[in-house]
Amino acid sequence: MADMGLLGIVISETCGGIGGSDIDAAVVAEELGRSLLPVPFIETCVMVPSLLESGDITEETQDILSAIVRGTATIAIGGNTALAPYRDPNSTLKLNSDGSVSGEVSLVMHGAHADFLLLTFGSDAQTRCVLVSSDSGYDVDKQTANDPALRPATIKLNNTPCTALTGLRKDDLERARLRGVAALSALQAGAARAIFEITIDYLKTRYQFGRPIGSFQALKHIAADLFLEVESATSAAHAAANALASADPLAAKSVALAGFICNDAFRDVSAQAIQLHGGIAYTREHVAHLYWRRARATLSMLGDSDTHRETYLGAWETAA
Amino acid sequence: MSQFDQDTSPEALRVAVLSWLDTHWDGENRRPLTEPAYDRRHWRQQVLAAGLAVPSWPPEWFGLGMTSAQCKVIEKAFAERNAPGTGLDRYHLGAITVFKAGSDALKREMLPELLTGPICCLLYSEPNAGSDLAGIRTRAEQDGDQYVINGQKVWTSNAREADYGMLLARTDWDAPKHRGITFFLFPMRQAGVEIRPINQITGESEFNEIFIENARVPERFIIGNLNEGWGSFQTAIAYERLIMGQGITGRRRNSPTRSRPPLLELAEKTHKLSDPVVRQRLAQALAYREVNSLNNERAMTEMMTKGSMSLMSLSKLAMSRIQHGEAAIATDLLGPEALLDGPDNSDAANTNFDAAKAYMNSIGGGTDQIQRNIIAEKVLGLPKEHEPDKGIAFREVKSGTGPRTAG
Repeated sequence: MADMGLLGIVISETCGGIGGSDIDAAVVAEELGRSLLPVPFIETCVMVPSLLESGDITEETQDILSAIVRGTATIAIGGNTALAPYRDPNSTLKLNSDGSVSGEVSLVMHGAHADFLLLTFGSDAQTRCVLVSSDSGYDVDKQTANDPALRPATIKLNNTPCTALTGLRKDDLERARLRGVAALSALQAGAARAIFEITIDYLKTRYQFGRPIGSFQALKHIAADLFLEVESATSAAHAAANALASADPLAAKSVALAGFICNDAFRDVSAQAIQLHGGIAYTREHVAHLYWRRARATLSMLGDSDTHRETYLGAWETAA
Repeated sequence: MSQFDQDTSPEALRVAVLSWLDTHWDGENRRPLTEPAYDRRHWRQQVLAAGLAVPSWPPEWFGLGMTSAQCKVIEKAFAERNAPGTGLDRYHLGAITVFKAGSDALKREMLPELLTGPICCLLYSEPNAGSDLAGIRTRAEQDGDQYVINGQKVWTSNAREADYGMLLARTDWDAPKHRGITFFLFPMRQAGVEIRPINQITGESEFNEIFIENARVPERFIIGNLNEGWGSFQTAIAYERLIMGQGITGRRRNSPTRSRPPLLELAEKTHKLSDPVVRQRLAQALAYREVNSLNNERAMTEMMTKGSMSLMSLSKLAMSRIQHGEAAIATDLLGPEALLDGPDNSDAANTNFDAAKAYMNSIGGGTDQIQRNIIAEKVLGLPKEHEPDKGIAFREVKSGTGPRTAG
């Protein structure tokens, strides 16, 4: 991916990236979703660059951005704020008076193998972000995930040196989060479409009662309804990326919409995919369960559907 | 020769259309400049002559060969000046069908007529041919250069006002059911055509039953070829479904572009806007509407760039979920008040109307279930169901005739 420049897709050209928009990031995320590639793309290549480039640019942040582009730096995000992909409410992270960081945080996706951790704590109103290099010394306990491809970890820090990100306004943090949700929505839309296509193929080739099972209305009607979900997810994800790329003042509303439409579409399509396949998808040999597990794993990533719906309705109320 | 150039910029096109309107149309008084009163037919003739009635059609067929984006520019210019008469290539079902499926001779004879005055209605469904539409039994029998029509049609809107009906009738009873049907442009104002209004569950009577007895239609009014009407008809019905999916039917009380959706207002009025369960349902309902608009935008783009109709098929199905869903939420918001009706209880009356009217979308133009079959078969490519009447002469087929009996 680094060879194709995809890792620097939203990083500015001055920092070695391609300088693309959220629309470009969405295209990459859709393909990652299709293939279920378990990589911290959204964290490393969308959210962290967004934060680093909107705060104070230092030599260190420049180096990290270049390393991201080259593919030599992966970054995991953990903490108890809305910026954490998987929010850990029991996080005990705190900044020490000497500028180091201590405490324990779980649900840090890809945390065990990341080259850097971006730790976020405090309140949503006053969020702190610090970068910790994996060379700085901290303990890692791997956690077991339901999706076997995902590797969350508990990170234990004790007076670990870190670099605080400075110059970040509240809007910058919110923008990084929105860009993360938009990329995640595209990923979910791509994944939902992939397992949908696999399922439709199966309905055409699996024979029972002497005819393809896709000829039965009971299954056809579910397929038609799922097609609506898949297309709606794509539309919502594209609209969110477009809104961010064009600095639409209602971008947060579009992102919230994509947040729950794509969450729910991926969940429902992957769940029905198992049912439509029947017994074969109850086996580990079939890929359907991988999509289903990933869908369930992303349901609470960067906000659950109910939260997005509440945000969306709130945007309608204030817009009027 | 047209004064509107295909290669012009959108802004130049807008200016050209506005300047044409300014020399022909009095926007303030909503009438043509050259005439004392508004004569619909005469105005439409002027718009047609300028190519602006059907701008997307090619110049040799009354249009300007404009792209869909250019047509939007033209429509906006007409709206700016309060002028009617453009965009018939988008919503005049009769003219669109003749244009897409008719012979050159029929197009030459009838399009100038259809595009300037007459109203067309649809004569498709029959009492025993609803979802199984190809099972129609209205017969058309040749008599010299005419066809004699006998049968019964139903669910026809605008029948009283209509000059022509797009008629599906059976012309070959020995062919399998889809292959013996012919599509006619049928003159409505003649003896032998009886129209009776249907009283609908909404309290409206927009639909009618049509009884046709020995009525006549000239042979040259066949749209497409004899016995190939099912194909021509597909063109017409696809447009009808598209129009329905854009939510043009029914009252447009909940447009996503409006700043304050009526459901939000109703929730506020009923003091339920702070209820978290209500808020979740409202958000979902508003989302379905917004997502359908987004899908429709993508559908338009896909149709223009790739000629693909696959996304188009979804919007009518999506609209059913939207309309039934919103009516259900409004009913719950009103609570016991929803049992009331009448002019003294307008919120309840509107909600009850919407709840009933939602069936117009989920049944009319092909039920949601038929629509799911179409999406599954035509778009997703799933195999057809077992068809007991496949390849059998229509006169041998039992359709809509009650349960089959043994022996």
